[in-house]
Amino acid sequence: MKRILPLLLLLVLPLAAEAQEHFVFTPQSSAQAQFAGYYAALEKGFYAEEGLDVEIVHPFATQSAADHIREGKCNATTLPLTLALRTVAGGLPLVNILQTSMNSATVIISRWGDDPLTMHGAKVTSFRAGFGQSARSFVEMKGLDYEWIMTASAVNLFIAGAVDAMLGRSFDEYYRILETGIDIPEKAIYRFENGEFNIQQEGVYVTRAYYLTHRKQAEAFARASRKGWAWVADHQEEALDIVMRYTKELRVATNRILQQLMLKEVLRLQQDHDTGLREFRVRPDMVEKANRILLDSGSLTTPVTLEELLP
Amino acid sequence: MKHFLDSLRRSLSAKLSIWVVLFTAMILLASLFYSSYVARRYVRVEAVQRASQVLENSVLKLMNILEDVELAADNLEWLVYRNLEHPELMMDYSRSTVQGTPGLNGCSISFEPYYYKDRYYYSAYSGYLDEDTIQTVQEGGDDYQYFYLSWYQLPKLLNQPCWTEPYCDWEQDDSSDMQTEKLVSYCKPLNDPDGNFIGSISLDISLNWLSKTLSSVQPYPHSYVVLVSRGGTFLVHPDPDKLFYQTIYTGTLLDDDPELEALGDSMLDQEEGMRSLKIDGKRSYVFYTPLKSTGWSMGIVCPERDIFSGFNRLRWLVIGIGLLGLVLMFIVCFRVIRQTLRPLSNLAVQAGNIADGHFDTILPEDPRQDEIGTLSRSFAHMQTSLVTYIDELKRTTAQRERIESELQVARDIQMGMIPRVFPDKGDIDLFGVMVPAKEVGGDLYDFYVLDGKLYFCVGDVSGKGIPASLLMAMALTVFRVAVQQAPPVTEIARQLNEALSAENDQLMFVTMFIGAIDLKTGRMAFCNCGHNPPAFLRKDGKASFVPSEPNIPLGVTPGYVFKGQEVDDVRGIPILLYTDGLNEAENEAHEPFGNDRLLEVMGSAPYDDAEEMIGRMNDAVKAHVAGAEASDDLTMLCFRINH
Repeated sequence: MKRILPLLLLLVLPLAAEAQEHFVFTPQSSAQAQFAGYYAALEKGFYAEEGLDVEIVHPFATQSAADHIREGKCNATTLPLTLALRTVAGGLPLVNILQTSMNSATVIISRWGDDPLTMHGAKVTSFRAGFGQSARSFVEMKGLDYEWIMTASAVNLFIAGAVDAMLGRSFDEYYRILETGIDIPEKAIYRFENGEFNIQQEGVYVTRAYYLTHRKQAEAFARASRKGWAWVADHQEEALDIVMRYTKELRVATNRILQQLMLKEVLRLQQDHDTGLREFRVRPDMVEKANRILLDSGSLTTPVTLEELLP
Repeated sequence: MKHFLDSLRRSLSAKLSIWVVLFTAMILLASLFYSSYVARRYVRVEAVQRASQVLENSVLKLMNILEDVELAADNLEWLVYRNLEHPELMMDYSRSTVQGTPGLNGCSISFEPYYYKDRYYYSAYSGYLDEDTIQTVQEGGDDYQYFYLSWYQLPKLLNQPCWTEPYCDWEQDDSSDMQTEKLVSYCKPLNDPDGNFIGSISLDISLNWLSKTLSSVQPYPHSYVVLVSRGGTFLVHPDPDKLFYQTIYTGTLLDDDPELEALGDSMLDQEEGMRSLKIDGKRSYVFYTPLKSTGWSMGIVCPERDIFSGFNRLRWLVIGIGLLGLVLMFIVCFRVIRQTLRPLSNLAVQAGNIADGHFDTILPEDPRQDEIGTLSRSFAHMQTSLVTYIDELKRTTAQRERIESELQVARDIQMGMIPRVFPDKGDIDLFGVMVPAKEVGGDLYDFYVLDGKLYFCVGDVSGKGIPASLLMAMALTVFRVAVQQAPPVTEIARQLNEALSAENDQLMFVTMFIGAIDLKTGRMAFCNCGHNPPAFLRKDGKASFVPSEPNIPLGVTPGYVFKGQEVDDVRGIPILLYTDGLNEAENEAHEPFGNDRLLEVMGSAPYDDAEEMIGRMNDAVKAHVAGAEASDDLTMLCFRINH
């Protein structure tokens, strides 16, 4: 049977591939455990089972995933909720087909050990591509006149002492800072997850135009991705093997230990604070909260409703 | 195993050999420890010198590279400032800088967006080494916004030259494939005359090239050079998984490693030093020194196994030779000691035969003059002495047995001389005992009824044993002869005194209480010849001594006139006569039974009969001495004349 099976596969695979729909997925940043569920879905054949020929294309460090979807370079991308709201308000209707994060991973880390919310006029990094919108709005609400330094190299600027604080994520930059040996006392970290603006972040979005014409494919991608995340939660070591293959291929400056810590934290953030479950849904109260912070800071002029985000 | 251990226990040769080997082993071990300690210290000092030398050379080599880069940056800066209005020259400057600086991988002259207003949003002029050729490229685009990257932002924010953390740079080649290179860059800010930032220049060094260049020198086979950045990232490391991808602290994120953390802190604090710690499971020495101008720190990791490999080989060789020597020493010691002690083994066998009673066993002669020879001769002498002693013992034992037998016969004869039959308890209730302290004694008692009178005596011959017994027999005979004539008690005393005084060369004497009672009237006449006064039981139940006038003992002074005394009526009064074996009987603590105790016991119960009284007194004495050996003969005579 072992000799026959490869022959059968050779016959079946081209036929299956022929029937599959090409689907480009662009994660928010370069390869890392933050996207383990999608890698797993691809590697374990969950996308193929749904009839999708998924290609994962990572953006360059200075590229914005929102730009990718806006320019039609991909069919789906991951966006933080606040950025999704701004993108919709900016005239690009999006549909959330899968909400992975249930909590905010955003942290503000002070370089010099101070409480970040007391550092008036501080130079603080924010990522060019991405997730810092809610934090920037929050800081404006608080009246802290940070000088935002948009960068793709926040950790390097932080290490060199070129900035006073950095915006980061609890699963990524936080551990990378720890890895440099810089002693960060807990009071020097502001965690949005524990504050009044714990707003869920990563969700998978497609344009509404694409959704209306390719609803089946979008839903199939969401189902397979969710299955991928479920598999990762049960097979973390194997999932790390897959992640490390991606990071090595793309020469991402990371290592297995960092990715292990990242995966653990990402899976934790996927659990809803109230239920303790990975619910994969957009919470209406968090949409309301995101609208409020963006409106208050002037980043939005009119609110974006939950209905505008959902299929 | 048990059999082997038993054999060892039984063999003196093996035991001595083991002790010798153990002692030698201890000395060897102590020497080995000390020499190892000293040698190890010297090896360590030598390793420090050697590693420090290599480290110093490597630092010099690196500093040369870095100074070349910094000098090239200075030159480039001068050129850029001089021709700032001619952007078309910037590409040539980049190319020539790469071309003219050994080790340089790339060079960029980058400007702020729209710096050249008539040109493009992105103005970055880059030259880079592509294998052996130098390529140039106009960098920047929506997919590569260089002004968000560290090599551009750091000099801008710090407004001073600096070295970046390592990063991975992307280049798009003709086939649209992304090529990457792990780099570290030296950057300088470019400012306009007003001090406003207008751009930066950055000169890149390839980490792979740097690693290859610095790893060429190794003080030990498995030692290696590491270079860590200000953020702890490995800029040089032989492990490709660590180079660029890990920091010195990575291993401490999941598991505590205080040694590694301390090394990291020390290196990043720009300290110089040497530390011993476990790296990747191997105990290693790390020698490190800072590169002050960069914030980097260079170290040489030398596995302890490498440093001490020669020393360890030598130590194992010495241990091996030592062990072999100890084994040989054991064999030689065992054989020599066994040979030396062989006469002792023979002697032990012969001693066993003698112990079994074969006293005629012939011991082998040993001509040696050492301790073994002396022991053999001494043992032979001891055998002879033993045989003689045993013969003597046999003879003495036979003699003693014969004497004991004769003494037993004498005892029987003496006891036969003492009256054993006592009168019926009609008018006289009388009972007596004599217990010699040795086989034969010098005490005596007697009584005789003649012409309505009861004659009685209790005596004690001076001394003990056979002489006393002979004198006792003589005194008893004289008493019996004298009583036949029914003389007064003083006459009896006189006759005894004269008989005992005659030919008394030994100066022996006899104390004696002599009495005679008229059975009809109860009148008692008595003569106390230096003897203990008798005790009697009064009508009130208490005991007292009979007041008596002491005379001298019998046999001391011939012709002495004894005085007698009389008591009117002793009928119904129990009287106890005794020798000093009663009142002077001692216990283990040498406490005498005493007169008071004598009277106390006598009056302790109503009088029943003479035998009971003597039995009671005997029990009291036995209880008092409690098993102590009797020092004197004990004699008691008790009687009561009934109405």
